[in-house]
Amino acid sequence: MCTGRVDPVIVAEAFKKGLDGLLVVGCHFGECNYVSGNFQAKAKLDMTRRLIKHVGVNEERLSFQQCSSGEGALFAEIVGKFSKTIRELGPIGGDGDRVKAPEIFKKLEAAEAVLAGEKIRWVIGKRTPFIESGNMYGEVFTEHEFNRAIDMIIVEEIEVQEILGKLKEGAQSVKDLAKALSIPSERVFRNITALKRKGMIKLEKVSGRTPIFQLVPQEV
Amino acid sequence: MPDKKEDIRIGVFLCHCGSNIAGYLNMEELEEFSKKLPHVTFVQRNLYSCSEGGINEIKKGIKEQNLNRVVVASCTPRTHEPLFRSSCGEAGLNPYLFEMVNIRDQCSWVHMQEKEDGTTKAKDLIRMGVAKAALLEPQEPIMSEVQIRALVIGGGIAGMTATLAFANRGYEVVLVEKEEALGGMLNHLSKLGPTMTDASALAEEKVRAVTGHSKITVFTKAKVTLVQGFIGKYKVDIETESGNKNIDIGVIVVATGGRAFVPEGLYGYDGKRVITQLELEVLLKNGLASAIKNVVMIQCVGSRNEERPYCSRICCQTAVKNAMLIREQNPDAKVSILYRDMQMYGVENEEMFRDSKVKRVRYINYDPANPPEVEPDNVRVYHALLGRDMDLAADLVVLSTPIVAQDDANVVSQLLRVPIDENGFFMEGHVKLKPLDFATSGIFLCGSARFPANIREAVAQGLGAASRASIPLAKGSVVVEPIISVLANEDACRGCGLCVALCPYGALEIQNTEKGRKVHVIDVACKGCGVCAATCYQHALSINSFTDKQIEAQVEAFLN
Ligand SMILES: Cc1cc2nc3c(=O)[nH]c(=O)nc-3n(C[C@H](O)[C@H](O)[C@H](O)COP(=O)(O)OP(=O)(O)OC[C@H]3O[C@@H](n4cnc5c(N)ncnc54)[C@H](O)[C@@H]3O)c2cc1C
Repeated sequence: MCTGRVDPVIVAEAFKKGLDGLLVVGCHFGECNYVSGNFQAKAKLDMTRRLIKHVGVNEERLSFQQCSSGEGALFAEIVGKFSKTIRELGPIGGDGDRVKAPEIFKKLEAAEAVLAGEKIRWVIGKRTPFIESGNMYGEVFTEHEFNRAIDMIIVEEIEVQEILGKLKEGAQSVKDLAKALSIPSERVFRNITALKRKGMIKLEKVSGRTPIFQLVPQEV
Repeated sequence: MPDKKEDIRIGVFLCHCGSNIAGYLNMEELEEFSKKLPHVTFVQRNLYSCSEGGINEIKKGIKEQNLNRVVVASCTPRTHEPLFRSSCGEAGLNPYLFEMVNIRDQCSWVHMQEKEDGTTKAKDLIRMGVAKAALLEPQEPIMSEVQIRALVIGGGIAGMTATLAFANRGYEVVLVEKEEALGGMLNHLSKLGPTMTDASALAEEKVRAVTGHSKITVFTKAKVTLVQGFIGKYKVDIETESGNKNIDIGVIVVATGGRAFVPEGLYGYDGKRVITQLELEVLLKNGLASAIKNVVMIQCVGSRNEERPYCSRICCQTAVKNAMLIREQNPDAKVSILYRDMQMYGVENEEMFRDSKVKRVRYINYDPANPPEVEPDNVRVYHALLGRDMDLAADLVVLSTPIVAQDDANVVSQLLRVPIDENGFFMEGHVKLKPLDFATSGIFLCGSARFPANIREAVAQGLGAASRASIPLAKGSVVVEPIISVLANEDACRGCGLCVALCPYGALEIQNTEKGRKVHVIDVACKGCGVCAATCYQHALSINSFTDKQIEAQVEAFLN
C-alpha cells in the first residue's frame, strides 16, 4: 500500500472521531515505490488541509512529509517536530483551533461528506491534466489558479453539506437556514435551487409566504 | 473458508524476538491486554515466532484452538510476512486471514528507553491489528506465465558472468551494453589483485564466451529506453545501432557497475604528474616509464568525507597491488602510501598487504584534519609518530578515488522503478535476506551497481543474481500477491476512466459490458498501491486487505 491510498474521507472521519494529528510520510518525488502514488497523496492531502482549515481545524494537524527508508535521522526529526506541534496545539477543538468542540465535529462531518462527494474528487483526480494540459475548454491552470478554484469549490461544497445537515434536523426556510449557518441568504437560495434540481430536497409547504424545504431521503 | 456468519476467532502471537522486543516492552502486560480484545480467543507468547517451534505453535493454535484469523505481533512484514502467511496456509487457514503487527522495528527498537510508553504504543498497534484482522477476507493467489528470456543491463564482469550463467542453464539472454565493447572497468585495468591475473586476458575470455554462445544476443552501443509490464511479462524497448528493438522479457538483471571518481581540483590533480589509480593502471599496462623513481599514493581522495561518506573498499587493495606492480616494473622505485585506515579485508588481500611491506612499500598514516600537500617535487605529510612534517620526493602522485555511481543510474532507476540510495547506487530489497533482489519482483542486481565490488565479489554476485532470477524462469510461472484493486461495487462504477488515467501501472482499463462501461482491473499488473480506490468518487473500487472498512476499523481502534 502507498500513501496514494490515503483517502481524504478517512482523514476527515478520523479527525471527526477525535484524532489530534495525522502525519503522512511518503517517498521522495521520483522515488515512489509505486511510481507516482506520492504525487496523488500530496494533491489529495494539500486539498484536505485547505478544507479542514476552512471548517476551523488548525491545518498543522495534517502534514504530508517525504523521507526515504534510508533516512532514519530525517524521519526521527520529522516525527519529533510533528509530535511537538500537536502537543502544543492540544486536543482537537481546543485552543489550537478556530472552531471549538463540539461544533468542530459537526463541521468535520460536513467536510467528510464533501470529501466523499463527486465534485472535489473529480477535480483532484484531474489536477495533473488541468495543470499540464488544461480542462476541456483548453484553459490551462497555474498551480495558484487551481488552488483558488479548489478553495471556491470547498466553500460551496461545505455550504451544501451544512444545509443538508441542518435540514436533517427538520424542514426549514431559506432565511432560517441562512441565519443558523451564517451564510448569506442569496447563497443559501442558490444552493437550495441546485439541490432541488438534483432531487435531494423538496418543498414541504409554504408557511404564510415563506417556502419551507425538507430533505428527500436518498437511497444509499 | 470461514464464512462471515461464523464466529471470528482471532489468535494473537506475541513474539519476544529474543530480547529485541521482550527486553524493552512489558510482554506480560501485552498478553493480558490482548486477551481482552474483541474476538480474541487465544493469546500466546513465543521466544521467536519465526523459529520452527514458533511456527509450529501458530499451526497448533489454528488447528487446536480453531482459529480463523491469526495476528503475529513481532518484527516487520517486509521480511517475515511471507513466512507467517505460508505457515497459516500449511495449517489450512487462508494465508490472507493473517495480519502482522510491527512491535519491533517501529516500537521496541525506537523506544528502548521508554518501557512504559513503548508498551502503551504496542497496545495501540495490537488493538489496531486485531480490529483489522476481524474484517479480513480470504484471497486466492493469482498465477501468471513467465516469458523464458532474461535481460542483463551492463556488460562488465558481473553482467557477463550473469549472462553466461543464464545461457548455460539453457535460457535465452539479451545483454545490453552502452559502450562499444563489453568488459566494463576491466578493459582499463592492467593486472588484477590479489592473483595478478591479466585483466585483458580475463575480459577477452569472457567476451569470447558471451559472443560465441548461441543463447546470447548482445547489443553494444545500445540502451534500454522503455520497460513496461511486470515479472514474467516485460516489454522492453532497446535502442541499438541496428534500430529499435521491442523484446519480451521475463526477468531483468541490473549490472551497470560504477565509474572511478575524477578528483578535479583535489591535490593538484592534472592527469599527468598527479593521476588516479585508474590512470596508473593504463600506464602499468603499457609499461611504466623508467624515469619514474618516486611514487606517492594518497588514499581516500574524494571519499569518506561529508559529500561522499562511504568507504569504496577496493581502493586500498588497488593501491597495494599497484605499489607492488610499480616495484616489479621499476625495482628501485620508492613507493609510499599515505592512508587513513587500511581496508584490506579478505585472507588474500591481507597476505598481499604483508607481502608489500616485505617488498618495502612504505605506509604512512595521515589525519584528514591535516591532509598531505602536493608540492612541485614532493608531497608533504605530517607524520604523527615522528611528530613533524615529512617531505617525500614524488615524480608521480597517484590519488586513490572511490568508485561512484553511474551518472545515468537515476534514469535506469526510473525506467525499472527500482530505488537508488543517497549515493546513487542501486538498493537491494533487503541487506541480509534479499541482497541480490530488488524489492520489485523480477528484477535483480549484482556487481558495482550496488556498491564498489572487487572482481571476486562481482563474479559471485553475477552468479547469484542469475541463480535467483532463474527461479521464475525454471518454474515458467509466478504467483502474484492478490493484494490488489478490485471492482467491489460494479453497479456504482460509471466507467468514467478517472482511475485509468491515474494508475501508474496501466493496470486499469475501461470495458464495455452488459451493464455499460465499467472499469476492469488487470490483476497481474496491479501492485495494489490504492490510488484508484482513494480517487473513485463512486467508491466502486477497493483494495484487497486494505479496504475502507478495514482502515476505518484500525483508525477507530486507535482512537478508542
Ligand atoms: C582503478 C581500479 C583498479 C581495480 N583493480 C582491481 C583489482 O586489482 N582486482 C579486483 O578484483 N578488482 C579491481 N577493481 C574493481 C573492478 O574493476 C570491479 O570489481 C569490476 O569492474 C566490477 O564489475 P561490474 O561488472 O560490476 O561493473 P563495471 O566493470 O563497471 O561494468 C559495468 C558495465 O555496465 C555498462 N553500463 C553502465 N550503465 C549502463 C546502461 N545504462 N546501459 C547499458 N550498459 C551500461 C558499463 O558501460 C560497463 O560496461 C579495480 C577498480 C578500479 C577502478
